[in-house]
Amino acid sequence: MIHVFVLLLYIGSLILWFNSLLTGGRGRGPHIAFGMAAVGVLVHAVALVLFTVSYGELPLIGLASSLSTLALVIGIGLLATLGMGEGLRVGIVIIPVVIVLQGIAVSIGFEPSYRTLDFQGVWFVFHVTLAFLGLCGFAVAFAAGLLYLVQFRELNSKRLGRIFQFTPPLATLDRLVRTGLVIGLTAFTIALALGWAWTVSFRNSLDHTNPKVIWAVLSWIIFVLALGSRAGGGLKERRSALMAVIGFTLVILSYLILQLISFSGGSSL
Amino acid sequence: MTSIAVVGVSHLTAPVEVRERFAFTDKEAISVLSGLQDRSGIKEAVLISTCNRTELYLCPGSDPDILETGEAVLSEKAGDLIGGAGQYLYRLQGLESVRHLYRVVSGLDSLILGEAEIQGQVKSAYELAGSIPVTPSLAGPVLHRLFQTSFSVGGQIRSSTPIGEGAGSVASVAVKLARKIFGDLNGLQIMILGSGTMAELVVEAMKRDHVAGLIVANRKHERAQKLAERLAGKTIPIDEMLLSLDQTDILVASTGAPHALITLDDFRHAMGGYRKKPILILDLAIPRDVEADIGDEDNVFLYNVDDVREIVDGNLIKRQASVVDAETIVQDHAETFAKWHDTRNVVPLIKSLRSRWGDLRKSELDWLWQQLSHLSEEDREIVDSFSKRLLNKLMHEPTTRLKDGIVNGLGSEFISAVRYLHALDDVDLDLDHEGNMSDSIGEFKEPWNNLSKMGPDLAEESEEHESNE
Repeated sequence: MIHVFVLLLYIGSLILWFNSLLTGGRGRGPHIAFGMAAVGVLVHAVALVLFTVSYGELPLIGLASSLSTLALVIGIGLLATLGMGEGLRVGIVIIPVVIVLQGIAVSIGFEPSYRTLDFQGVWFVFHVTLAFLGLCGFAVAFAAGLLYLVQFRELNSKRLGRIFQFTPPLATLDRLVRTGLVIGLTAFTIALALGWAWTVSFRNSLDHTNPKVIWAVLSWIIFVLALGSRAGGGLKERRSALMAVIGFTLVILSYLILQLISFSGGSSL
Repeated sequence: MTSIAVVGVSHLTAPVEVRERFAFTDKEAISVLSGLQDRSGIKEAVLISTCNRTELYLCPGSDPDILETGEAVLSEKAGDLIGGAGQYLYRLQGLESVRHLYRVVSGLDSLILGEAEIQGQVKSAYELAGSIPVTPSLAGPVLHRLFQTSFSVGGQIRSSTPIGEGAGSVASVAVKLARKIFGDLNGLQIMILGSGTMAELVVEAMKRDHVAGLIVANRKHERAQKLAERLAGKTIPIDEMLLSLDQTDILVASTGAPHALITLDDFRHAMGGYRKKPILILDLAIPRDVEADIGDEDNVFLYNVDDVREIVDGNLIKRQASVVDAETIVQDHAETFAKWHDTRNVVPLIKSLRSRWGDLRKSELDWLWQQLSHLSEEDREIVDSFSKRLLNKLMHEPTTRLKDGIVNGLGSEFISAVRYLHALDDVDLDLDHEGNMSDSIGEFKEPWNNLSKMGPDLAEESEEHESNE
């Protein structure tokens, strides 16, 4: 029940974000929407702690619980934008991502997986958490990148309507894209290195045909490309924003498909 | 019968050459305000002086002499004007003056509808009056409340209506664009080509946002020097402006040149091929100073005078649409203020009433303790508590009705009746020469409740009717 409540809090926050967009971000609207998202994140954390306590299983193993944890980590990523002035308005893009992940989790249902994993313990927690942190950084870069493209278009269209008023400055958004990508890539790289080290130590070799391994490597390459697109001249900020948007969309969609197939087929994370 | 008055001149009543005659510096304002309490019984005063208005708020404002004093203060400042200064002045009293200040602070009375700067200017004027070391303070209880509420009304209107949405002038559009591109303007380099008034206003507005460096490029060195000195920048010959273009973040062009001063080739050459970081170009010149093709280059945001005008006009239309909502908020708050203002006059009477009945309670209790000396300390506390509760309950309705009576315009007869019935003739109330509460402000008479207009018999009958119910 608490997970549905969390979902409703996020949906409430999204409604407030759109209401704020309609008023051009005037007044305290964005802060109220952000505040509601923060409450959602807080209750979400409590919900996952309760899950862990109730089932004696970390919310990183089962499909619903791991998707919910990813949603929580991305929500925390939104909270990290608090000190960036108008930057926190990326919430209007981040919260829908959180809602989709939490919505899928709720519709699947929160049950313990009772799975036995190849490797467990503190290193497993590090591996998954860092991978989620990487996706969180990518999610922030995606949200900032999307708003960057919108603001860029608004500035060139010379309309300067409510979307222009609401959307943060290009410089702020570019800083968020860069920070999201750097933090995300760093965390994701460490997560992959840990995963590789364990797999080799448990199985003595890495199965290169495992879809998750392929996904992880491709995601890492997309990360690198998104960050690498900042090099060179021309509209490097715009290019990087576009790459962050395309890259995160590919990574998160393929992650969801992979997880759903993986769990329906019964293989472990 | 009003306690607040305002005498003023604004862009609606006088042209700029007249308004500037009424303008006060802070020093002059302090000097004038300091001496006001010695004239005509003025207790509180605030003087607002901006480029679009000079207004003197006075309290109490009921006495015609006070209004004359206010007019005299402003007229003295203006000096000799053909036809006299009085023709440009407006005089508002009571609720109208409250509504006026709320409209001013909200930007409803501004030259550019909804402009936000006025709120800060009014706040400064209010703080200046409060800082003058006179007793009692010029920013006394009535004007304190008036100005504080005006700031919250301004805030409410700006947050709940689109009146301040978008930019309402070329300068504010420029600042808004710059902020949406660069975020913080602190540390940016700005270059101004020519010295058109519009470009100057743009640069002035940006300087307020702490742009780091200003370069003025003009054909006429003397003029450039003058402008650079005023805006704390440096000058370069216009022929050298391309050399500084690469380091420029914001370019404001406003020369009278008959052809484009910066061509696409010039621009590319100056940038070493392509622009590596964003640049905002505001070409406010006609004919244009910057070739339009430059706007298609990477990292270039180019706006010409028509683009900016279109944005301003669009915003002003949106702002205009919010006026009705804003006026409703102003009216609601003005009425609330008037109610507060009117009920505060009755506070001394209520205090006396409570004090009188409180004393009676104590003396009767003393008598009771003598009669019931066997009562334990615990029982006495219960009886004492009972007497307090009874008194509070008995006083509650009359107190509420007393306040309501004043708000509903029952006036001095009502007050007199209460004073007479409770033998409170010694309470000092501020009544004007017509016998009304001298600093009454509201006009909220409700005919159904206007007991003061009934004869004694009718009032008695009404009381009987109420008690029968």
